[in-house]
Amino acid sequence: MAVMKTTRDIKGVGDPIPRADGREKVTGAVQYVADIQPRGLLHAKLLRSPHAHARLVRIDTSKAKALAGVRAVITAKDMPQLKKKAPTRAHAVLAIDRVVFAGQPVAAVAADELAIAEEALDLIEVEYQVLPVAVDPLKAMQPGAPPVAEAGTEADTSEALAHSAVALASSETKSAKAVNISQQATVKRGDVAKGFAEADHVLERTYRVPMVHQGYLEPHAVLAQWDTVGNLTLWASTQGSFNTRSEVADVLEIPENRIKVIPVECGGGFGGKIRALCEPITAELARVTNRPVRYVMTRKEELEAGMPAPQVIIKLRTGVKRDGTLLAIEADTVLDTGAFSGTVLAVSAVFLGSMYKWPAFEIRGMEVLTHKPSVAAYRAPAAPQTIFAIESHMTQIARDLGLDPIEFRMRHLIQEGDPMVNNQPWQSNGAKQVLAKVAEHPLWKGRKEWAASGGKEGRGLRGTGFALGGWLGGLQPTSATVRLNPDGSLNVLTGQVDIAGTNISLAQIAATAFGVDFDQVKITTGDTDTAPLTGLSAGSKTIYTVGSAVLKAAEDARRQTLEIAAKEMEASIHDLEIRDNKVVVKGAPDKSVTLASIGKKGNLYMSKVPPVLGTATPAFSQQAPGFCAQIARVEVDPDTGETTLHDFVVIQDVGKAINPLGVEGQMQGGAVQSLGFAMTEGLMFDDNGRLMNPSLLDYRKLTAADLPNIETIIVEVPSPSGPFGARGVGEPPIVPAPAAIANAVEDAAGVRITELPVTPERIALARAAQGTGAS
Amino acid sequence: MKKQVLNCTVNDEAVEVLVKPYTTLLDALREDLGLTGPKEGCGTGDCGACTIHLDGKPVASCLMLAMQARGRSVRTIEGLAKTGTLHPLQDAFVRHGVPQCGFCIPGVLMAAAAVLAENPKPTEQEIRYGIAGNLCRCTGYTKMLTAITEAAGAAARREG
Amino acid sequence: MRRFDLAVPQSVDDCLKVLAGNPSGAKLLAGGTDLLPQMKNGLLKPAWVVDLSGVAELRTLRTADGGGLRIGAAVTARELELDKRVTGRYAAVAESGALVGSVQVRNLATVGGNLCNAAPSADMAPPLIALDAVAVIAGPKGRRRVPLAEFFTGARRTVLGADELLVELVVPDPGARSGGQYLRHTPRRELDIAVVGVASQLTLADGKCAKARIALAAVAPTPVRATAAERALEGQAVTPELIERAAGLAVDAAKPIADQRGSVEFRRHLTRVLTRRTLTTALARASA
Repeated sequence: MAVMKTTRDIKGVGDPIPRADGREKVTGAVQYVADIQPRGLLHAKLLRSPHAHARLVRIDTSKAKALAGVRAVITAKDMPQLKKKAPTRAHAVLAIDRVVFAGQPVAAVAADELAIAEEALDLIEVEYQVLPVAVDPLKAMQPGAPPVAEAGTEADTSEALAHSAVALASSETKSAKAVNISQQATVKRGDVAKGFAEADHVLERTYRVPMVHQGYLEPHAVLAQWDTVGNLTLWASTQGSFNTRSEVADVLEIPENRIKVIPVECGGGFGGKIRALCEPITAELARVTNRPVRYVMTRKEELEAGMPAPQVIIKLRTGVKRDGTLLAIEADTVLDTGAFSGTVLAVSAVFLGSMYKWPAFEIRGMEVLTHKPSVAAYRAPAAPQTIFAIESHMTQIARDLGLDPIEFRMRHLIQEGDPMVNNQPWQSNGAKQVLAKVAEHPLWKGRKEWAASGGKEGRGLRGTGFALGGWLGGLQPTSATVRLNPDGSLNVLTGQVDIAGTNISLAQIAATAFGVDFDQVKITTGDTDTAPLTGLSAGSKTIYTVGSAVLKAAEDARRQTLEIAAKEMEASIHDLEIRDNKVVVKGAPDKSVTLASIGKKGNLYMSKVPPVLGTATPAFSQQAPGFCAQIARVEVDPDTGETTLHDFVVIQDVGKAINPLGVEGQMQGGAVQSLGFAMTEGLMFDDNGRLMNPSLLDYRKLTAADLPNIETIIVEVPSPSGPFGARGVGEPPIVPAPAAIANAVEDAAGVRITELPVTPERIALARAAQGTGAS
Repeated sequence: MKKQVLNCTVNDEAVEVLVKPYTTLLDALREDLGLTGPKEGCGTGDCGACTIHLDGKPVASCLMLAMQARGRSVRTIEGLAKTGTLHPLQDAFVRHGVPQCGFCIPGVLMAAAAVLAENPKPTEQEIRYGIAGNLCRCTGYTKMLTAITEAAGAAARREG
Repeated sequence: MRRFDLAVPQSVDDCLKVLAGNPSGAKLLAGGTDLLPQMKNGLLKPAWVVDLSGVAELRTLRTADGGGLRIGAAVTARELELDKRVTGRYAAVAESGALVGSVQVRNLATVGGNLCNAAPSADMAPPLIALDAVAVIAGPKGRRRVPLAEFFTGARRTVLGADELLVELVVPDPGARSGGQYLRHTPRRELDIAVVGVASQLTLADGKCAKARIALAAVAPTPVRATAAERALEGQAVTPELIERAAGLAVDAAKPIADQRGSVEFRRHLTRVLTRRTLTTALARASA
């Protein structure tokens, strides 16, 4: 894509500009779904199954319906659209005759007050016939395990397309044999057996990562209201209003243009607010009561019955020569998808086999259904888990063979144009440049001194670790319009949900592309009635795709503006430029026409000048991978295993930092989310499939007291196709920390932890087991 | 379950409002008084999004009944600065690009304001522990630390 | 939260009257940091809640006649953390207050609530037990005193009757030659619950340990004293070797379970490590 050339410095792309709505956010003025209180509002609650697997024998709602203040109680019987072979979680609005995870909704209530709705739940009588459960995916995948899905239910592979645009199209995809295996794929190339036979060093480890929750601070929330002619309005906390509209329309069997989704300020999503979850049932309660109905999930419900990231188990085996030459890699990956299919199986295979050049590989992947809440995307789905395995492994190989772990990686990094395991070509990226920055960082150069300073004068054991990771980048068609106003200002319209502050970056792109300062640009996120079709805020693709659309729409608006000016000044369009809110003839600054006059004529009675409206509706085929390395400097208490993170560095290739403030925010926030994966987070299920830690006290996100300041180093290796060379920024920084921490802890404490999170307990008990820890 | 009369001060104004006995202070502020700045992120005191000041001290308003505020002084994010102005903390948060999704921000600002009220020149550790009860999933806290440190410096200079 | 009626008494006697009038059980609300989450999660569904925030006597922290502290049941964790009368001679109590929740929780959470909720992991119990604190309980027949070590009868169970109210904790002055510490292990620095907590209090006389108290949290249904370890220390000069022996004996007093916060093995391991560390600090503080 062409980079606009401007003849002077414009306040736009590349400037660290605070978001335009910052003041709204710091004063508490900005409104989220739960803040909206229309007249006549009813409150919804869901009765959820306490059992992970049970047959619904009888439901009696009569007592609940009789409670004063209760306006509706509904069960699956009241929704004829619901079908037993629900293809997605969104379709499983209410359980029909069987519940398949603890927390699955069984009945729904709308009442005048939340307290009354809760009391109504107590009055609903449900008789369950408890059935055997499949909780551990390794057991669930065995023949004879208790079945999760109804026989014949299709696997859901839409996540893979939405997030990574990676498919295993060329690989062998088998239909599942065992009852709970919902997806299965193998990729292989070369002679793996020969590779292992020739290897001097074979390393086999099994890496485990539990289900983790996206942890957005605003729980799922939706407000639904119907008008008298049958149009539904949904105020939703969503990462993609058009996606929400499509899913709700599909589930409720109503036309899409009868639904208006208003994307209210979204209090965090991270992949967890892409798929519909509570929108259909809230809409149904609003329909039967003919009142506005609001549903806000509690945090307990979020943790018990949200859509977390899958549990991942990777058995990884490598064979290399003594000098570090790679020979073969073999892996078995199991993704525990919970009660409904929906993982991105391909990502795991691609990262295990493609980051480094393995001449021979065989990577087998399986998606397994269990009686647990079903999963959804979580910021770079499957990548942190997979990179934890391969990057722990690479450091361990280097340590075993006495190789420098950076040089070892550099030597084997896949090159642009090389085929990935799925035979798609590896796209240009900055992995090498990022690794080089690790090598020259003071934390890495000083790692020996840091290690030597530990273990004395009351200090803990000290170590340093790093890991490399990345994300290939999502793609999705999208659109944008740019309008010139009668006063010369610009309005940009997309349907892009701005969660992290992307709208200011889009405004900067429009400003630079058109040729005005960013404060001349107002950007609006429209609803699904008014905005042009726009993709998800996901997949690290907002700037890459919507930014491209805004860039093209601004270029289109600029071209229209120049054409009008050219006609008026009888000049060639090629001799014109936009400067100081005027179209001027290059070299003849006194010959000009203001943007305002052009804009005004587009809205003047009897005017023959057309309004300026730039539009762009691009689709995309080329990804721009973003790579990130992270360095951790830790100190481990030799007795308790408590790990203090002293320093943490994020080095990331962003292609071009459109807005460095926003880019740093993504890098820091992504890093801390990654550190949560690494150090404290995990959903813990008991043998009956019930969540043991359904609160933010026991589901431990890191606090400010647990962390140092996160250092950010921005690397810019321009992408060939992104706007101004930008790459996806959001997902890469959540990928490396688990391996970086495991590598740092190994360096410090001499124990290799292969199961996340790397807790004090795991470190202390591993040290005790190998006789190095205090008893 | 008759409603009860709650008399208290909210953002420097005397307030008399009828509340249900089982209404939390957070819900009373949000639904009865229309102050939706304080958020409910967990309802159990584990996230800090509902942080307000009660008689000048930071508390989790989701863990109080509204009637427990009788006779006391409540301050929410809406009352952190005079209308139309920004508190130095709010100003620093905007300039440093702290807010992303923004859901935690009202609670963080109230916790940070309490830190500065107690100690105008806090150390980094004092700031970190002062806002450790406020979970943020977007920012990684680094820019918050920068902004709070800067605002503390500005306030200390003004007073010194 | 389900609906309930709220009583707002102004005195201990008013409270007792409300309790007497609700034989089916009213819940006492102090800081609310344990009670409200349990009510919101539907674990408790009381018809009546009694708000204690209007009862001044419960909020009083004062020095007792003849030395020692009297800590009203509704004194907050934050007050214990910061009050100079506590941080000096009763350092372990202040440390336990400082560890509860986060600052916005500590400004609400009360010592009485922490004890009456009777979670095995309650942080304030071990240091108060190690200081031989006595609970003062008001009931229809007047007030009775129960040593805090005997206050807990099981997980989430205490000696309190449904018509009784914890009024205050009386903590004897341990003396100038005494020192104590409370430590706990948590995966996070703040906003967490003890995996194991240990309070140690050592009182010295003539270069020897005159009195030793070690109390453990989160290793049994109730807080427990490691009495064998205490006996091993008393009458002896406290050396690192003796501390190590006592730490081993403390492990024997721990009867932990495995749960979402830790395994049996790790809890036993932590009991040893934290007993060793708190005894070492207690000795240093007593000697200072």
